[in-house]
Amino acid sequence: MSARPPVTPAGPAPVRIDVDHVSRWFGNVVAVNDVSFTVGPGITGLLGPNGAGKSTLLHVMSGFLKPSAGAVRIGDEPAWLNPGMFRRVGLVPEREATYGFLTGREFVRLAAKLQQLPDPEAAAARAIATVEMGEAQDRATGGYSKGMKQRIKVAAAIVHDPQVLVLDEPFNGMDPRQRLHLMDLLREMAAAGRTILFSSHILEEVERLADSVLVIVAGRLAASGNFREIRRLMTDRPHTFRIRSSNNRELGAAMLAQPSVSGIELDDGAMSVRVADFRGFTRALPKVARDRQVTLLEVAPSDESLESVFSYLVRR
Amino acid sequence: MNADIVKLTLRQLAGRRRTAFMVLVALLPAALAVAFRAGGEAGPAEWTSTRLLGGMVVTMLLPLASLVFGTAILGSEVEDGTAVYLLARPIPRREILLSKLGVAWLLTAAYVVPSAAIGGAIAFQGAEGWGPMLAGFVVAILAGSLAYCTVFAFLSLLTGRAFIAGLLYVFIWEGLVTGLFAGTRLLSIRHAALGLAGFVGDASPDVFDPDLGGPTAVFILALATAVAGWLAVRKLQRFEIGESG
Repeated sequence: MSARPPVTPAGPAPVRIDVDHVSRWFGNVVAVNDVSFTVGPGITGLLGPNGAGKSTLLHVMSGFLKPSAGAVRIGDEPAWLNPGMFRRVGLVPEREATYGFLTGREFVRLAAKLQQLPDPEAAAARAIATVEMGEAQDRATGGYSKGMKQRIKVAAAIVHDPQVLVLDEPFNGMDPRQRLHLMDLLREMAAAGRTILFSSHILEEVERLADSVLVIVAGRLAASGNFREIRRLMTDRPHTFRIRSSNNRELGAAMLAQPSVSGIELDDGAMSVRVADFRGFTRALPKVARDRQVTLLEVAPSDESLESVFSYLVRR
Repeated sequence: MNADIVKLTLRQLAGRRRTAFMVLVALLPAALAVAFRAGGEAGPAEWTSTRLLGGMVVTMLLPLASLVFGTAILGSEVEDGTAVYLLARPIPRREILLSKLGVAWLLTAAYVVPSAAIGGAIAFQGAEGWGPMLAGFVVAILAGSLAYCTVFAFLSLLTGRAFIAGLLYVFIWEGLVTGLFAGTRLLSIRHAALGLAGFVGDASPDVFDPDLGGPTAVFILALATAVAGWLAVRKLQRFEIGESG
């Protein structure tokens, strides 16, 4: 496989995305509710469960939805009613569809021509090499796998070396190697001074890639900032564990005396333990069990869904 | 006009089943003309202008072809989401619409004009002064197809059921309502196209007698094209991806 061409540096002035008190509703449904933030150079992850309003927000930011209230600016330009902004913005939509009758090369070359690049052929070849689609470039995109479609969409979005790249769930359908490859590419683009915003509902993707994170829950900005800070909030939140042991009653009584435990309920061969201090609990449980000679049969978190994590962040 | 969008649209439409269906329909006027000649019927000028060209080509073939191509140039892209690949580019939306509309117009004319010309030339044989009459219909088809395609392209940006809405306009409004109430013919592209055919072809009223006069017809066709085109550009400029998540 050929080596990927180096990412060219971004223009002299970094481009920021300013989202100012943006709301968007569809009839009676509020999809995005009074959200404000600024995204600068580097990689920002837009994290939230399915249906949280991520796609709506990305569509507003890329000029494909009119905000019901508020405004979005890309650098010094408005996003709404301004196709000219796509000179410096690249967009990777979530929907899988491409022009299935075009080959990968034709698809990316069309993008280069529509960007009015001086040498569309060379720009397309470079973008295709960047996403490592050289071998499949002469096949019709209709026959591509989901991961290949994602990569050719990325190639079309970066063909004009945009200063801002917006990607809606870009890792969907990619295999682990393709994910790592795209992550490396986005890191390189960010290091070259570009502003990159991607959405995901998978915590680990955002954790591995994003310098900063925006957490969207039920249309509201639940948290924003450095990923480590938000991760700490997520780890330190109250947890509930389901525990089965050789003697639930004795273990429960001993654990209730621990400051890290805020409550215990016994039921049908197991107990539910509410934990106020995650680290303290994980240190205390094996020690207490050993001291009481109780065998732990099962320790499982019972509220680890992303939704419950996000709900906690919203309540804070 | 943008040559890349024109080429893309031509390739999009080339492989569609409806396009193949249109080829079959386009053969009908010639087949009917041959049958008319073979039957040795009298009055070729009246039959050809009123029945074949006015009744079949302008009333059925022209709106049907315009509907197929007019709704397909943007409707399918809006539906499957590929419109984003054109709209997320620094091109004026007006240029996108004009390029796509140009393709719809070209294809409609490419189906309907030869069909009318061949069918008309066969059936008109023996009639006096049929050349200007046929030319009148060709002009009417060109102007009518532009108006129809523009209206149907706008419809496809308004609703996912543009094809059905277009069929209702053609068969219920133009086919039924304008037959019942004469005033409604002012809101009919078909009647305007027929009026233009009569005006350009300088037809004698006992051979071909459209309801609308030439200047009215020209005004209606120009107005329909301009208003629908302006609305379509405006709609495309305000194009929204209709989903949340």
